[in-house]
Amino acid sequence: MKQAGSKHINSLLESFFKLKRDINRWSFATLFILLIIAVPVFTIGIKLFDGPGQSWLHISDYLLPSYLKNSFYLAILCSIITILFGVSSAWLVTRYHFPFRKALEWLLIIPLAIPSYIVAYAYAGFFDYGGIYASFFEVFEIANAKLDIMNVFGLAFVLSISLFPYVYVSARAFFLNQAISLLEASRLLGVSERKSFVKLIIPLARPAVVAGLVLVLMEVLNDYGAAKYFGVNTFTTGIFRSWFSLEEPETAIYLSALLLILVFGLILIEKWQRRKIQYSSIKSANTKPNKKIILPKWQQFLICFTVLIPVVLGFFVPVWQLLIWAFKTFTQVLNPSLFWLSLQSFGIAFITAFFTVLFALVLLYFSKWNKITFIKNASKLGVLGYAIPGAVVAIGIMMPTLLIDKWLINQGLITQFLINGTLIALVYAYVVRFLAVAYQPLESSSLKVNNSIPDSSKILGMGNFKTFYKIEFPLIRAGMLSAFILVFIDTLKELPLTLILKPYHVNTLAVKAYEFASDEMVMQAAIPSLCIILTALIPVIFLNKLLLKNE
Amino acid sequence: MKNTLYLLLVIVAFFSCENDKKSTKDASTLKEINVYTHRHYESDQELFKAFEEESGIKVNVINASADELIQKMVLEGEQSPADVLITVDAGRLHRAKAKNLLQPITNSKIDSIVPSHLKDKENYWFGLTKRARVIVYAKDRVDPMELSSYENLVDEKWKNKIVVRSSSNIYNQSLMASIIANDGEDAAKMWAEALVNNMARSPKGNDRDQVKAVAGGEADLAIVNTYYIGKMLNSKDQAELDAAQSVEVFFPNQEDRGTHINVSGIGVAKYAPNQEAAIQFITYLLSEKSQKIFASSNYEYPVNPNVENAEVLKSWGSFKEDQLNLSKLGELNKKAVILFDEAGWK
Repeated sequence: MKQAGSKHINSLLESFFKLKRDINRWSFATLFILLIIAVPVFTIGIKLFDGPGQSWLHISDYLLPSYLKNSFYLAILCSIITILFGVSSAWLVTRYHFPFRKALEWLLIIPLAIPSYIVAYAYAGFFDYGGIYASFFEVFEIANAKLDIMNVFGLAFVLSISLFPYVYVSARAFFLNQAISLLEASRLLGVSERKSFVKLIIPLARPAVVAGLVLVLMEVLNDYGAAKYFGVNTFTTGIFRSWFSLEEPETAIYLSALLLILVFGLILIEKWQRRKIQYSSIKSANTKPNKKIILPKWQQFLICFTVLIPVVLGFFVPVWQLLIWAFKTFTQVLNPSLFWLSLQSFGIAFITAFFTVLFALVLLYFSKWNKITFIKNASKLGVLGYAIPGAVVAIGIMMPTLLIDKWLINQGLITQFLINGTLIALVYAYVVRFLAVAYQPLESSSLKVNNSIPDSSKILGMGNFKTFYKIEFPLIRAGMLSAFILVFIDTLKELPLTLILKPYHVNTLAVKAYEFASDEMVMQAAIPSLCIILTALIPVIFLNKLLLKNE
Repeated sequence: MKNTLYLLLVIVAFFSCENDKKSTKDASTLKEINVYTHRHYESDQELFKAFEEESGIKVNVINASADELIQKMVLEGEQSPADVLITVDAGRLHRAKAKNLLQPITNSKIDSIVPSHLKDKENYWFGLTKRARVIVYAKDRVDPMELSSYENLVDEKWKNKIVVRSSSNIYNQSLMASIIANDGEDAAKMWAEALVNNMARSPKGNDRDQVKAVAGGEADLAIVNTYYIGKMLNSKDQAELDAAQSVEVFFPNQEDRGTHINVSGIGVAKYAPNQEAAIQFITYLLSEKSQKIFASSNYEYPVNPNVENAEVLKSWGSFKEDQLNLSKLGELNKKAVILFDEAGWK
């Protein structure tokens, strides 16, 4: 007995000394940043202990089964379609040479820039009575042609087509960086191109593809506008219904917590599965410029055609419809203030993208440099913000920051809110919400950096920062740029959060588009939507040029 | 070169985001009013600008849905900068009042303009414009003599002939609340169940889409708000125009209580920092000049009885309104949603 007891104490002491040995300033820094990010999430989490509201029974009886069913279908369908489009196009643009390759390479990102509810409206309009689809049929004198896409399948299509770039971007970053040299080795050993792709590249691309897919799924589960318009009730419909229609925020929070657990569960399952495989053990970092395969002309055109499909569906078709609407409404909507609005949106998105990438980077590397496993794992919590609907995040931000604001006012230090109703709260909220968007591509690109390089640098006496700047930074730059662009675009089109937290006089294009669309003036929303696309193009083109130069 | 470009970008970014904090900072010296509004119409922006010019009071606008605005006001509490809350339905104003976010306003000018059933009994909020929820029918397939009331829509003869949007829409919730208030809970539930049976398709899209569905032959009847028809009839899009012209408006329940109406309304925030300006703002929006703009550019029915309806609305003729006090709609809103779910109205 006594021995067992002292053993117990010994092991406790041992772990205490271990903790004392391992704790360093990175541990504290990680925890601090994590705290800032997690406060809004925890504020909502605490609410869970109040239990669900009275309507919980009503919801679980009448609504939950269909919410679950629809969300499940959507998740499955969207996963299939986005992987299909995202991975195939990423592989083709990195491996093969074909006409318009460079233009297509960045056009494949652009579908992301159109808010998905606008894509939904555009497609519904495209197939509606008197739409473009119907005008094809009028040629054959078939009147009143209409394809009803307003159902769960149509919704899955619309969401996938506007979200597949997440998968494309992270898969492409992986292919660019190292897949080619592996493939060449495999080809040298006599394995066919197709077999190498299936047996080698696909399994290796998994972390990158999954990273993109997680973003897609969170976005799909979070969608409200498109699902509402198509009359498909999903989990998020339930959150808003119980919050606003049934007047029970408790139930809404309960539902979003369920959603959170679902998403987090998905991430954990993937991480657990991946644990078996060591992805960072690839010995040679690829320094050779990757040479594209040049196929016979007709095959090149076939490839070009294949890559064009997602671009046409995700970009040209909606933009075509938007242009038609823009043409009908430009006298009413187009004015110089739109330029000013674009500039504001650009500024806000730029600042947000900068800070989000910075935070994600700091979180990623600080947790890497710290030695406590618990903190390493906890840093993954930083991505939770993305799984919560924007409107709920806004509430999570407002509750703690208002406490600070009110306290400062009571202390007589300030007369007006310092955080709320200013850009601070808005950018803070964006960072919390979009940290996952930046974290995923950064994490998957940092996984590919062979640990032995920074390790030997440290052994040779270089500090963490210097090692990062000299060795890791150049290697993960592609991932950083993707992260920046994704957050930039996401911020440009973000809505519910912006509506609640934006300061007076600060206005964004997305808000403008929403003002029209929410009042069923879908056609008038076309011009602000097109402005969003144009604004999103600026960093995409600019950064892509940079990326290509460094290739 | 590259670095200069970067620098330029950052400068532009920061410059464009410079906060307009000055305008909120010296609230005491500069006259201003902070408007939380769910109305995103151009007519409103026009009116706000005109008010600024006329009164010298600056109008700061926060646009969002009423639910989000109410939540924001709750969290901000006593320090809330909101002066007025504008919503597009009476139910939400009632909710704001119930949450203790509004204050009663006694002003003879306002009282003389707004009819009693279009405002709060205790003067916590006032209607600005009215919209009627009506039935539209396909001109070529339906004889209007067969139509009579909302209740009549559950008749067997309309099986698979009705389209209406989802029950998460506030206008449907208000209509349901009015039916509960008039016919009782059980009857209302049975009505909803029977109506779901008569639907030509599962609820989707917005009000304009319902009109298009009738025009396209998917259904014969649709339940929609009047001002959307007004907007469609003045649309630049040929397909919308054609759709609106192929249907006709029918005002239900003319033989009994009258057609269900709702208001878009306004209330003064409980902790309004600029209360006087708020009252001035409300009287401005109720003036004949402003009401004319609401009526003509947004095809809503003005609450000011001295103002004429827009031409389109006149062509539909006058109609009898349900005189139910609109506070009732707010009180019964939750019940309405629960009954919708039980009846399976998506």
